[in-house]
Amino acid sequence: MNSMAIEMLVPRYGIAWYPWAVQYFFLIALSYATLWLAVPGLIFGKKAWMPTARIAMLACVTTTLVGPVALLADLHQPLRFWHFYGYPTPRSWMSLGSFILPLYLGSVVVLAWMSWRPALKECSQASDGWFSKVAGWLSWGNWKIPRPLMVLVGLAALALSIGIMLYTGAEVAIVRARPLWHTYWLPFAFVATGFIGACGLVMLLNRISQARNAIINRQMFSVMIGACIAMGFIALTWFLDGVNAVDGSVAIALDSIKDSTQWRNTALWGSVAGIALFVIAIILRLRERLWGWGWLVGLLALHVAWMFRWVVLMNVQTVARNSAGYHNYDMAFGSYGLMGILGTFGLWIAAILLIDLLIPWRGHEARAITDKSSSSSDISTGAPSHG
Amino acid sequence: MDPIRRSLLGQLAKLTAGAALVPLSSVASAGINDQPPRRGGNPEKRYGMLIDLRRCIGCQACTVSCHIENAAPLGNFRTVVSQFEVEHEETGELATFMLPRLCNHCENPPCVPVCPVQATFQREDGIVVVDSDRCVGCAYCVNACPYDARFINPRTQTADKCTFCAHRLEANLLPACVESCVGGARIIGDMRDPESEISQLIEQHRNELMVLKPEKNTLPQVFYLGMDERFTTRPDGIKPAIWDVANQNGKEIGYEFDGH
Ligand code: SF4
Ligand code: SF4
Ligand code: SF4
Repeated sequence: MNSMAIEMLVPRYGIAWYPWAVQYFFLIALSYATLWLAVPGLIFGKKAWMPTARIAMLACVTTTLVGPVALLADLHQPLRFWHFYGYPTPRSWMSLGSFILPLYLGSVVVLAWMSWRPALKECSQASDGWFSKVAGWLSWGNWKIPRPLMVLVGLAALALSIGIMLYTGAEVAIVRARPLWHTYWLPFAFVATGFIGACGLVMLLNRISQARNAIINRQMFSVMIGACIAMGFIALTWFLDGVNAVDGSVAIALDSIKDSTQWRNTALWGSVAGIALFVIAIILRLRERLWGWGWLVGLLALHVAWMFRWVVLMNVQTVARNSAGYHNYDMAFGSYGLMGILGTFGLWIAAILLIDLLIPWRGHEARAITDKSSSSSDISTGAPSHG
Repeated sequence: MDPIRRSLLGQLAKLTAGAALVPLSSVASAGINDQPPRRGGNPEKRYGMLIDLRRCIGCQACTVSCHIENAAPLGNFRTVVSQFEVEHEETGELATFMLPRLCNHCENPPCVPVCPVQATFQREDGIVVVDSDRCVGCAYCVNACPYDARFINPRTQTADKCTFCAHRLEANLLPACVESCVGGARIIGDMRDPESEISQLIEQHRNELMVLKPEKNTLPQVFYLGMDERFTTRPDGIKPAIWDVANQNGKEIGYEFDGH
C-alpha cells in the first residue's frame, strides 16, 4: 500500500459467546476424555486400570451432568431450549449436538450406575442408617446386571463420546468467518487438550479422595505425555500450514494477530506451559519417588486445558473481522462473566461432593483407605509435606 | 498484506461479484452445513442493493434512520458507515473513504445453515431474516457472519439484523436507509426485473462492481460501485483511531482520538 489509512468511525462489536461456552467445552472435554480413561478397566476388564477407572468414572459423571447446565446458560433464551427438539435441523452441527448430548449423558449415567451398583448393594446391606436406605433405592432391585449388557452400554457411551468430540470440534471449526477457528486441526486440538486436562483431573481426584494410588498417577503420566506429543504435533502443523500458506485460512489467521503483543504473549505462554507440562510429566513418570506430586501436575494440566478453550473461544472473538484493531472484552462480573465461571465450578464441586456422600464409588478401595493399610501402591508417603 | 496478494484479492473481488450475479438455483441438499430451501417472500423477486460510493458523503443519515425505524438498541446497528482517513504516503495528501455496511443478504449465507432451530432463514426473494419467536439466542449465526452484520439484541435476547426493511418493501416503501440517503448512494431493487434501476446499473457497471470479502464465498448481494479493492477485506495495517479510555477501575469514561 502506498497510503496509510486510519479508521475514524466504528461501532463496538461485543462478543457473542460468553464464558459459559468455555465452561461447557471444558467440562464436556473432560467428560469424554475421562470416559476413555475409565473404559480399559471398566469395559475391557484390564485389572490394572480398575483404580483409574473408578476415579475417572466419578470425574466423567460429574462433568457430564454439569456441562450441559453451562451450555444452557450460554443461550440467551434458555427457556426455549425445547425448540432444539421441536425444530430438528440435521444440517446444523449445533442441532446435531443437541441430539447427541442427551443420549451421551444418558449412557454415561447408566454406565456409572452399573459400575457402582455392586458397591451400592453392599452398602444397602450394611446397617448404616439412611445411607443404606438411599443405597438400597439407588441399587434398584436385587437382580444382577449381566456383564455383556454393561459392555454394551459402555461401547454405546464410547461411540456417543466420539459424536461429542466430532460435533464440538466441527461446530467451531466450520465457522469460516473466524479464520482462527476455521481449521481441520481445531477438533483434534480440543481432544488432545481434553485428554491432558482429564489426566490432570484424575490425578487431582486421586489425591483429594485420599486414594493416593501410585499406579493411577503412573498411568496418567503416560497418557498425558502421549496427549502432549499429539498436541505439540497439532500446534506445529497448524502453524507451519499457515506460515507456508498451505492453508489459506490459517495464513489469514496468523496475519490477523501477528501485530498484537497480547497474542504474542498468549502464544508464548501457551508454548511454555505446554512444554513445561510435557517435560515435568516425563521427569515425574521416570522417578517413582515423585509420583506423589501428580496432583500438582494435574492442576497445571487442568489450567492448560481450560486456558486453551478460553483463548480459542473468548480471545478469538475479540479479533475484529471488519474493522481495524481488536475489540475490548472486559469480563463482566455478573452471570455472563465471572459469576458464571465460578458458578459452574461451584456446581461441579457440589456434584462431586454429593456423589461422594451418597455413593460408595471407590468400591473395594474404600476399605483400604479406611483401614489405612499402607499397601505397596500407597503413595501418601511420597510427598510427606503435603500429606 | 503484500501488493501481489492484494491485487489478487481485488481480482477475486471483481470475479466473485460477477459470479454472484449469475442467478444461483437454490437447490437444497441434505449435507451438513448446506443451505436449506428458501421459504416465504416473493419467489418472483430477488432483492439486492447497489451502493454508489462516489455519491456517499458519510453523513450517517442512513445509520440514524435505520436505528429509529427498526428500534435498534443503543450501541447496536443494523447498518453503519465506516469512515477512513487515507493519507498518501509520498504526497501526504488526505482523503476520506466512506464504506456503508449492512447485511449483504448473501446468496450463500453462512449464517443460515448453522442455526440449530431454523429461526434464521432466507426468503425466496433473497432476504435473510430471523424469526425472533423461534430464535433461542445461541448466537451461532452472529459468529458465523463474516461481516459483523448480526448482533444479539439485548432487549429481545434474540438475533437481530438488517432485513432490507422487508416490512417497508411489502408496503411499497423504500428501506429507511435508502429513503434517507442524502447522496442517493443506496439503490435497492429487484434484480430479477431487467427493467429495474438496480438491474440496469448492474448491467452498466458489471465489471467495476465489487463485494466485501469475496474470498469467503458468501456471494454477497450488496454491490459497491467506486470501491477501492483494498477495502474489500479487513483493512490490513489500518489503525483504529478511537480508543476507549478507562479509569483505574477499568470503567469506561470516554474516548480518545489516536494521534489527533
Ligand atoms: S451478511 Fe452476514 S448476516 Fe447477512 S446474509 Fe451474509 S452472512 Fe448472513
Ligand atoms: S441466535 Fe437465533 S437465529 Fe442465530 S443461530 Fe441461534 S437460534 Fe438461530
Ligand atoms: S445516508 Fe447515504 S450519503 Fe449518508 S452516509 Fe448513508 S449511504 Fe452515505
